[in-house]
Amino acid sequence: MADNNNGLSRREFVTGVGGTGVGLVLGGLIVKGFVLPDEVFAIPASGGYLLVDTKKCAGCTSCMMACSLTHHGQTNYSLSRIQITQNSYEAFPNDVQINVCRQCPYPSCVDACPTGATYVDEANGNVRTVDEAKCIGCERCVNACPMTPSRALWNGLEKHAQKCDLCAETPFWNEDGGPGGKQACVEVCPVKAISFTSEIPVQSDSGYDVDLGHTSALWTQLGFAGAASSGSH
Amino acid sequence: MANGYAGKILKVDLSSKSFEEIPTSKYEEWGGGHGMGSKIFWDLCKDKTITGDDPRNVVTFMASPLSGTLAPAVAGRTEVQGIGLQGWPIGWFTRSNFGGRFSTQLKFAGWDGIAITGASDSKVWLKIVNDQVTFEDATDLWGLDTFEVAKTIYGLQDVEGDWQAVGGSRDGGRSTQRPAVVASGPNAETFAPLAALVHDGGNGAGQGGFGGVLALKGLKAISVLGTGGVEIADPQALMEARLWSQQYAFAGHNDTGNTVPGNWSMSSNPGNAGGYEGAASRPAGCVGCIKNCRGRSTNNLMPESQCVDPWYTMGTGTQGQLHVTDLGQRAGLNAFVMLGMSQWLTKLYKEGVIGPGKEIDSSLPFESIGKTEEFGIALVNSILNQTDIGADLALGWWQAAEKWGRLEKDKKSGWMASDVWGYAHHYDGRTEAEWGYGSLMGDRDINEHDFNWITYWCSSIWAAYGLEPMVSAERMAEIVAKKCVPYDDEPMLIDYSDEGVYNDSMAKLVAWHRHYTRYYKQALGFCDWAWADFVNPYGPDFEGATGEGEPKFFNAVTGKNQSFAEGMEIGRRIWNLDRAVWVLQGRTREMEVFSDYMYDVGSTDMSGRGYAAINYEMPYTMPVYENGEWKYKNLAGRQLDRAKFEGWKDKFYALEGWGLSNGAPTRKTLEDLDLKDVADALDTAGKLGA
Repeated sequence: MADNNNGLSRREFVTGVGGTGVGLVLGGLIVKGFVLPDEVFAIPASGGYLLVDTKKCAGCTSCMMACSLTHHGQTNYSLSRIQITQNSYEAFPNDVQINVCRQCPYPSCVDACPTGATYVDEANGNVRTVDEAKCIGCERCVNACPMTPSRALWNGLEKHAQKCDLCAETPFWNEDGGPGGKQACVEVCPVKAISFTSEIPVQSDSGYDVDLGHTSALWTQLGFAGAASSGSH
Repeated sequence: MANGYAGKILKVDLSSKSFEEIPTSKYEEWGGGHGMGSKIFWDLCKDKTITGDDPRNVVTFMASPLSGTLAPAVAGRTEVQGIGLQGWPIGWFTRSNFGGRFSTQLKFAGWDGIAITGASDSKVWLKIVNDQVTFEDATDLWGLDTFEVAKTIYGLQDVEGDWQAVGGSRDGGRSTQRPAVVASGPNAETFAPLAALVHDGGNGAGQGGFGGVLALKGLKAISVLGTGGVEIADPQALMEARLWSQQYAFAGHNDTGNTVPGNWSMSSNPGNAGGYEGAASRPAGCVGCIKNCRGRSTNNLMPESQCVDPWYTMGTGTQGQLHVTDLGQRAGLNAFVMLGMSQWLTKLYKEGVIGPGKEIDSSLPFESIGKTEEFGIALVNSILNQTDIGADLALGWWQAAEKWGRLEKDKKSGWMASDVWGYAHHYDGRTEAEWGYGSLMGDRDINEHDFNWITYWCSSIWAAYGLEPMVSAERMAEIVAKKCVPYDDEPMLIDYSDEGVYNDSMAKLVAWHRHYTRYYKQALGFCDWAWADFVNPYGPDFEGATGEGEPKFFNAVTGKNQSFAEGMEIGRRIWNLDRAVWVLQGRTREMEVFSDYMYDVGSTDMSGRGYAAINYEMPYTMPVYENGEWKYKNLAGRQLDRAKFEGWKDKFYALEGWGLSNGAPTRKTLEDLDLKDVADALDTAGKLGA
């Protein structure tokens, strides 16, 4: 892959990363970059991202169960590539976190993998994912992820690392996933706290915390407590 | 095997501090939850006549095959059973239920349920991490409130949102989740009949006094964390079913909203509608919920409390309500008995019976009722510390009333709004017959809103606010009849007219309700706040998901091909097993009567909440069939007729296959349900139906 030029122009690349969080490093630092016309190595931006609104999240963990169900055929928090963490005794809005893979422009997990198992999947919109057959179980990707908890996780049942692939490979769901397709977590979220975008959002150290807003005034009118001052902002 | 079950049930013996595994397959025919719990109780509790505080009492915490799955408004429920301490004249074999995460973590840990037997000679809490089960010293936890217990255990297990290896090896399992903890309040054995079990913020198993039962067994809390999963027979079908269900729910209509106010239906909007004035909040759902009815707010008070949790504090102003409710949840007090008891105490105060130097001497600040939180806080503390009237109230509501010489006269006058078995009057059995009758034929206030939402709340709201009904009374009756298999040939099921409540049709409605809830809600875990779904604004021609939804999820998860009707028959079997236990405990036909006020005093409507005998939350407008047509009618003020109600009991007993003279299941009824051993036990006790 290192020498694979898919014809992406510098302009296209820069547009793809939206001018923020540029995963652009001079050659030598990244082994799985694309060769741009001026010989700068870079990793193409993912074709899609999950957006979350933590203030809207109800903590029902339906997304976690849908993720593991569609990927593994079982509902299992420990296999979910999206992790909802919450504490009933914390005050809103600090009581819930939606820990979702950011499909980083500069993916540390991809960079850390010694075998190319964690890679940028050109066939599925450049989503960062894991080729399980190539995984040797070193967990470098798990440890390299700068987020807490790590968005790359260890599957102790099947003995390999895995991460969010935007549902590009969901053997237990007859839907096309990946960028351009459907994502199980987005589809099942009952409060629409997760959304998909093909435009890279602004990112911060705390992750994508995007106000998806209320999709209906009736949401407020019909008793979502606190109305305008609620989690809808 | 991918069938939704974890495969084993944890049997704990507190006396020997040991545990063993029971294969779930032994009880699989009962579905899960209440069905398994009843049969396990039947098998393990050899003497059904013991009281709730007897060390031989068996308490079960049961999940279902649907726990920890995407079944909507199902996956988060945990069913609790055993002989209770709250009821009157005895605790009865009873049940409660709580939401949240407990049953999901239990399943992920590899267990379909827990059966607690024996009693510990030291104070312990039970720690479950996957298949590791340990008895931990609870000495330092015993005086802590329910929130403090959970937070302490969180700290002990060192789970703070990062991946934690909990299995002792690389592949032993990892989790980012906090353990699910259920606990009783401080020194709960001292106010045992009022003591709830509380999980997370506001998920309480209140009725029955199971917090007290466990405290008397020396068990303070159970903590469970699992890193496994629930294997699904048909993952594709489950995902499709979940997405299918969204057409009936607000979840599928965020863009258009819901024109039906309220909390009791698949279609209602998320978030706790009350109690957060002045604070920003989020909806907070139980596991897998499609409704997410609870809430958490910026003020960090009464998190996840819902519905009746804050009601006994009404009249204290919003902030007072928040504080007293939060205190009650921490204390692990049963909010519903607190509601009834508070109304009664208020009435006694208004009538000059209780107060300084009065017939019932008390220094509690009654004068603050309706003004500040002072009385609510003082009442909770008096019970926790057994001071002032709290010393007697800690014995139980009716128990205290008897000690004060008030029980019979206040039940007769209605000052004590408590219609059955020592439980607080909930929806009005004089008018909403299926609620009251169902409670009386069982063990407790049923707290099942299946028909309540549509026949009372919707109907009454439409009438009170002059709204055009979403469906006509005739259409509502048609939808209900269609869905109430196997009584779908009975068109008059929801005829709440003066005569209708004594008819065969009401016997069928009550029977259907008892069987449906025993299986679908209490055995499988379908949440009372969403199911049954009869009338739904998003459904085709206003028909809800019930009938199609329940088996769709059960079959996707288990791989079985069970029809809705087959599930109803399992519910009938569970109901009859429960009935047999009550008969062995001493239930007779003569005992199955309401408190006198239900016959002698007509209900009044909502004015003056806070007084006893105010049993309507708003005027009762319900569907009736009169003069050849269906219509909605205000039924406020109705009194039950003793003779007619006894006639209704004849019809109901006959329909259930119970003896008319003693109300016990007959041998034929039990053997037809493949319960010959139960029939033999009743026969040995001389209590078969006759």
